Amino acid sequence: MDVLKRNNVSVSGTGSQALVFVHGFGCDQRMWRLVAPAFEDRYRVVLLDLVGAGQSDLTAYDPARYSTLDGHADDVLAVLAALDLHHVAVVGHSVSAMIAVLAALREPTRIDRLVLVGPSPRYINDAGYTGGFEQADIEELLEAMDQNYLGWSGAITPVIMGHPERPELAAELNASFCRTDPAIARHFARVTFLSDNRADVAALAKRRLPVLIVQCAHDAIAPVAVGEYLHRQLPASELVVLDTTGHCPHLSVPQATIDAIDQFLAAARTAEV
Amino acid sequence: MSQEPLPKLDLRLTQENLDDLYEHAPCGYCSCLPDGTLVKLNQTLLDWLGYTREELVANWCLQQLLTTGARMHYEMHCAPLLLLHGQVREMSYLLRRKDGSTLPVLLNATLLRDADKPLVVRVTLFDITERRKYEQELLRAKTQAEDQSVQLARANEQLVSQNEQLTRINADLDSFVYTASHDLKQPLHNMVGLFRELKRTATFHDPEAEQLVGMFDGALQQILDTIAGLTEVVQLQRMLEQVPVEAVPMLSFTEEIVRSLRERLPEDGATFDLDFSAVPTLRLTRPGLHSILFNLLSNALKYAAPGRPPHVQVRTAPADHNHVLLSVQDNGLGIDLERHGRDLFQLFRRFHPEVPGSGMGLYLVNRLVHQAGGRVEVASTVGEGTTFQILLPR
Repeated sequence: MDVLKRNNVSVSGTGSQALVFVHGFGCDQRMWRLVAPAFEDRYRVVLLDLVGAGQSDLTAYDPARYSTLDGHADDVLAVLAALDLHHVAVVGHSVSAMIAVLAALREPTRIDRLVLVGPSPRYINDAGYTGGFEQADIEELLEAMDQNYLGWSGAITPVIMGHPERPELAAELNASFCRTDPAIARHFARVTFLSDNRADVAALAKRRLPVLIVQCAHDAIAPVAVGEYLHRQLPASELVVLDTTGHCPHLSVPQATIDAIDQFLAAARTAEV
Repeated sequence: MSQEPLPKLDLRLTQENLDDLYEHAPCGYCSCLPDGTLVKLNQTLLDWLGYTREELVANWCLQQLLTTGARMHYEMHCAPLLLLHGQVREMSYLLRRKDGSTLPVLLNATLLRDADKPLVVRVTLFDITERRKYEQELLRAKTQAEDQSVQLARANEQLVSQNEQLTRINADLDSFVYTASHDLKQPLHNMVGLFRELKRTATFHDPEAEQLVGMFDGALQQILDTIAGLTEVVQLQRMLEQVPVEAVPMLSFTEEIVRSLRERLPEDGATFDLDFSAVPTLRLTRPGLHSILFNLLSNALKYAAPGRPPHVQVRTAPADHNHVLLSVQDNGLGIDLERHGRDLFQLFRRFHPEVPGSGMGLYLVNRLVHQAGGRVEVASTVGEGTTFQILLPR
């Protein structure tokens, strides 16, 4: 299996260190369009689509394999291995912040530092923990997704799921921007929003890996309280709150996001010297 | 060609008030800052929501007008799409009214830029209350259909596995019958030989002894016939699994069987009337068809009415779109179907004990026809004759 093709990996830029961008739920690697190019003069910039998103190989979406975020973390590590990259920095947005955490725990030598953009280790409120959502909210999200995929889901999905030999069907889906197979999107949403990675964060804390948390000041998906929680849990972390609204600082305030990442990476480099 | 005069337009209509058009358009309008902060809403939207303009403008953002699920979807899908692509189309969301109730809407939005910097988002909202009901109905039906298809697949799997099990049991049974009949043959032949030896050497003084000896001979022969019949069933089954189905020309095939029957039963002056003009060929395995015809025709001769030369008609005819009919009619003894109908095709059942036979023939015919995907029907009148009608797939 060609993992570079499976995850639609693109590599650009030059530099001794690699910077790997992993997109979050709802879109694909094109989300990094305003940020990633700024690093190409100093880093090898690696972009990928999670399996099930963008131009990835939709037929590789095995619901059992991706029933937890570990499947995606394995994929990220497989891409790093295929490119023979070590000591990389992974920038993960939203759900991929946790995918990056899982990958870093699994192969310590591959990943040196993490940039977590709008991270949340758990979206649903729990005793003594504020994630921002109740179980019912997640059900409502899935319903909203169902409503929005109504027009084209039924006709296409079973066809693609049952016909890996017909890649043109998947291509047809991919042609629409930031849309993917609705059954996959629904499954991924469920896995994402029902996951609880607080124990993984605690495990990462012991590793004292340099971590940058990029937090939006007004984010309905990952509220400031969640960013602060992570900052407390990770002693080696740095928290940067960007004055913006929404869940995608790399789109709403791309320059501030670039600056935050840049400073973090530069400081880490200086510390090493 | 004369042109229809245009209807006279009221001048007031051509100069429609744009403010009024905006405020009371049959759809909701709003404009927001790139972060979603509401800066302008039309009256239609305010009426839908139950808020005043003052409550919302500069205080609320568009996302806050959505239900939580819709808001999550907006933040993760629409907001990035607007920034990347400049527009979103036909998003189906629920608005949350001031009184807590919801309103299903279709949302279109466009991002306007000022010198490349995001400036304002223009949003139109359409009330889709009725459409949403149909869609919910469709969604429910779709979910139901998916559930049913899963259940069907599961039931199908079960059937397949049960079928495999039955096939295996059937094969085991055949193999058991074959082994049992084979194992019985040797001691039976010994008994035949020993009895023959006994008859030759021993002297019986009882006056009834001769009759008893004869009955013993008869019983031995019957067991031998039965075992031969069992072996034939199994061997035929094994052969059928190895030979192909082909279009068998009926006339020459049946004539050959008639010829062999005349050799075995030469004395009775039987007449045969063969007519396959309607359907000249049947698709079956040759051994299968041979066994079916041989058994039916030899039955017709064996169970002939005393004092009446057998007359047998064999025909084919189209039955329906998918089936053809093979019929064998005789003028023999007939069978009392009221009494025996249910047992007719059972193994070892005999209805004319005065005529020798193994009780295998009709069992075999029925089994072969079933295996070929057909069925056998019988009509009979005691003293007049019997007609077998075999329906076979084309």
